[in-house]
Amino acid sequence: MQSYWFGDVDGGQCTLFAGEAPAVAERVRSIQTSMDTFVPLVWDIAVDCGFCQDRAEYISRLREVCFLNAEEEIRRRYGGRDTELLQMVRTLDEMDNVINLLSERVAEWHQIRHPMFSRKYRRTPAHMLVKTIREKNRGALGMVAAQVEELAASRTALAREVSARANRVLPNTSALIGGLVAARLMASAGGLAELSRLPASAVQVLGARTALFAHIRTKTPPPKHGLIFQHRRVHNAPRSVRGRVARVLAGKLAIAARIDYYRGVAAPEFLESAQLRIDEAGKGGEP
Amino acid sequence: MIRIGDVLVSHGEGGVYGERMLQGARVWDPFRSKLAALYYVGTGIELSPGMRVLYLGAANGTTVSHAADYVDVVYAVEFAPRPMQDLLEVARRRKNVIPIMADATCPEQYAPLVEEVDLLYQDVAQPDQAGIAVRNSAYLKTGGYLILMLKTRSVDVRKEPGEVFQETTETLISAGLTVQESVWLIPYHHDHAAIVCVKSTR
Repeated sequence: MQSYWFGDVDGGQCTLFAGEAPAVAERVRSIQTSMDTFVPLVWDIAVDCGFCQDRAEYISRLREVCFLNAEEEIRRRYGGRDTELLQMVRTLDEMDNVINLLSERVAEWHQIRHPMFSRKYRRTPAHMLVKTIREKNRGALGMVAAQVEELAASRTALAREVSARANRVLPNTSALIGGLVAARLMASAGGLAELSRLPASAVQVLGARTALFAHIRTKTPPPKHGLIFQHRRVHNAPRSVRGRVARVLAGKLAIAARIDYYRGVAAPEFLESAQLRIDEAGKGGEP
Repeated sequence: MIRIGDVLVSHGEGGVYGERMLQGARVWDPFRSKLAALYYVGTGIELSPGMRVLYLGAANGTTVSHAADYVDVVYAVEFAPRPMQDLLEVARRRKNVIPIMADATCPEQYAPLVEEVDLLYQDVAQPDQAGIAVRNSAYLKTGGYLILMLKTRSVDVRKEPGEVFQETTETLISAGLTVQESVWLIPYHHDHAAIVCVKSTR
């Protein structure tokens, strides 16, 4: 017997499936076909057993079912807890880029207008400089500087949202390394499922692609850390133990990502022992 | 195939992806579509009004929209949700496109939907492109054609494109397909080859 979308066909006999398009769509999803015994459907059978009048009707009803299934499938694939977070992280990184580029550019422009201006020996943070530029310049330059300030404000708001959402989507990973870096790790891997399937050694160098491939191709030393360097535990560690901290942290992150993916809630016992272990590595001791 | 002068075109509703129009026909750009490139650098398969096509790797529906202008019906299979959104929009306006969201590596996913086809067109970025074509040739009727757009870089970046091409051709032949034409799509697409086969055995 062969099961097709409009019904089952056995020899010359066919049994129509009774139901509207949504029910048919449901049926199509549930049919299991083995390719070994599969016979491609012949549309004329649908006419013979009274499913439709002609080919135009056959195609139009088939389309209706396929649209329903495709829409359903898109919704399902977009419905993951991590899908939106992924876009948020990428937007955040893109905004950082844009803000840096534009701040640099308006500063250069400002210097031309103010020949005596120099940034040497000043401790002015970038955003304060942009503020000064906005106040001191009329016209387009002032407006662009104002835009950069606004962008920076949206960026701050977005970073807060990313962090909050990461705490919900990746509770364990976030507890170990902070929401923002956890979200970046997830985005760099391509999703929560993808991150949870990475070995610890890959988590350790996520985001250090250039250094990693330079190492594989030539004789440069291997990267000790990628994105996880952004966490204070790694970048505050003394140089002599930094590699070790990164390795131990990555090991615990790989486990945390798996708990996040399969369990979805924080695991206090695991977190406690993991924190302890990472702290030990920072003090220079292996257990 | 319909040509105005040297320019390949198709007749249908325009404005799908901002394509140029020429005397009321849609210009089919070989730089954007590998199928169009095949018609420029080689012979390909003449698309005719009665044809049924199974299209694997339909992506945003650019090539699908042109193919649909020529043939009876196109079963367009695509796996990724983002391009699928675009494909659905194309299919809403072209009544002979049937959008199927499924994985071309698992042809059983769309077995209840697809009928026997005259042409199997495959353009997927996967390592096992020959295997996918062979498995999907179950939908191809005897005497039907396979057009495989081989992305050699997706199979193995470390191998020479020529080597990948050789291996793929051997797999297709050992599966009972007869290679009728094979060309590289230079200068339109680099490291891409088009392999046209006939399914001659039962």
